[in-house]
Amino acid sequence: MKNLFYTALFGSLLIFSSCKDEEIPATMAINIELEHVLAGQTLELNGKSFTLPSGEDFTPKKFKYYISNVELKNSATGETYVEPESYHLISEDGNKSIDLGMVPSSDYDQLVFSIGVDEVANGKTDQTGDLDPNSDMAWNWNTGYKFLVLEGEFTNSKTSERQGLVMHIGTNANYKTITQNLSGVRAGKSTTLILSSNLDELFLDPNTLQLSELESTTIMFGEMAGKVAENYSDGFITVK
Amino acid sequence: MRIQIPAWLGLVCVCGLISCGNEMESPVSGPTQISLNSPDYFPNNVAMPADNPLTEQGVQLGRMLFYEKKLSADGSISCASCHQQQKAFSDGKQFSFGVNEAKGDMNAMSLSNLHWQNRFFWNGRAKTLEEQAVQPIEDEREMNLPIEEAVKRLEADTKYPALFKNAFGTEDINAELIGKALAQFERTLISANSKFDAWIRNEVELSPEEKLGMELFFTHPDPKLQLRGGNCSDCHLGFLTAGDPNGFTGFHNNGLDAEEHLASGLQSVTGNPFDKGKFKAPGLRNIALTAPYMHDGRFQTLEEVLDHYNDHIQNSPTLDVLILEASNELPDGSDAVKLHLSKDERKAIISFLHTLTDQEFITNPKFSDPFN
Repeated sequence: MKNLFYTALFGSLLIFSSCKDEEIPATMAINIELEHVLAGQTLELNGKSFTLPSGEDFTPKKFKYYISNVELKNSATGETYVEPESYHLISEDGNKSIDLGMVPSSDYDQLVFSIGVDEVANGKTDQTGDLDPNSDMAWNWNTGYKFLVLEGEFTNSKTSERQGLVMHIGTNANYKTITQNLSGVRAGKSTTLILSSNLDELFLDPNTLQLSELESTTIMFGEMAGKVAENYSDGFITVK
Repeated sequence: MRIQIPAWLGLVCVCGLISCGNEMESPVSGPTQISLNSPDYFPNNVAMPADNPLTEQGVQLGRMLFYEKKLSADGSISCASCHQQQKAFSDGKQFSFGVNEAKGDMNAMSLSNLHWQNRFFWNGRAKTLEEQAVQPIEDEREMNLPIEEAVKRLEADTKYPALFKNAFGTEDINAELIGKALAQFERTLISANSKFDAWIRNEVELSPEEKLGMELFFTHPDPKLQLRGGNCSDCHLGFLTAGDPNGFTGFHNNGLDAEEHLASGLQSVTGNPFDKGKFKAPGLRNIALTAPYMHDGRFQTLEEVLDHYNDHIQNSPTLDVLILEASNELPDGSDAVKLHLSKDERKAIISFLHTLTDQEFITNPKFSDPFN
């Protein structure tokens, strides 16, 4: 009820202020920050052990992924901002933000982006910046780039052996586009959007992964990679 | 899945080398700024340090310092004694000898394509090339000359004060400027004209064996899919075949020793027990010229190196995950970490490694002893 009151108050203020056109700048700064979470805790790569949804312990060593083709949409007016050359390598021990810079002012209520690299960019590697093929995200044959990399160690529950998990997901079929609703983005108001990448979701929903049961814990191509991509296509990255 | 010829390499449209020695507008009396002569398939987003731009005069001074024996206590050795051009700036010894036949405990690293590297020495203790370059002068097992003494000697020399003035605008020589000049020369040591480079530029074909070796080099194996790989490029990345330059990501425990014998390596720098036994993954350009191999020079030949990675990985808590989880065969229940490459496959990888030899690099007169 209180919220409604504030919304109404705020809304009327907006209407009031919108009469004076010059008070809404033509552009607004939008920045996106990403947080990495596993088992409800902030991800760390320095040797800390986490519990996977399966109950198995897991010590992550590397976590990187591409976010590309970021768009902001205002579903009421149809206004859309498409970031040009939109390829962002996000990594736990590196960059975790996407600065969209100044974008046309609008009450954006949707954020659209993809995990991975689109077919066009994925089909060539004479590229620079975040797509520089000298990084460890480029593959060497026609498959292009790794879209998501998660590496770490777990204890096999059957053999009690320490074992590695190498998850390198790529290939065009595993390029997934995600739409998230936004609230609180207002025309002319610079905003930082916080996204949360929940690593549990790589192992869950719809495909449950029990690492100790896998035939091989190198997950790069084929059916298993597709299953992980299905998992990251929904619920993995969400607006906080 | 059918493996194809590495298209990301083949697809690279090569527009020739970036022009070298691009002279920029410079103040009348200042040093002449130049740019690195590197191919367009090397990373292009690594800036020169703002406080040490590359200049013709700085590189010239650095080259002289690199070959200057006055920088060792008894005047017997220079940087170039352990970093010899014909061996791609390594010295062929397991451990190098310093002055008075002092012996080090690390293998002298080959020097090339250093502009794209970060964190120097096998254990990563130097953040920058500038910082790295002066340490061997003072190290008592190497040149064993206090840097103040080195400065005095250069100041007393007939040619160096003027050369420092030309390069840095001052005759006041100090450790920082010595490091900067050496770093500038070292940045020009670019190796990019091997057979592999010629292949990237579409100028030559690789033999079937070399091509197989390259595919194996750049592939992490997946036995479920019969995708065979040698797993090399997991640590020796991209066209540079060098370690990841981001932070300490390019440091790995590659299974040389079991836990009880692990050297501290990166741990001695970070203090983190999870870094125990990790060493810098070096660039593999000219690797056929830089034996012996590993931080402690324990392997004499590339065959021994391949045998190590294939059959003799020692497991320990910090063993790199990409080695731990890399096999060309499905797990057989044993806990041994083995790559399961065939003999022919190992031979093919070695053939590919030989394509990284760059004759022009090891004979380029610009890198040779200026006192000869």
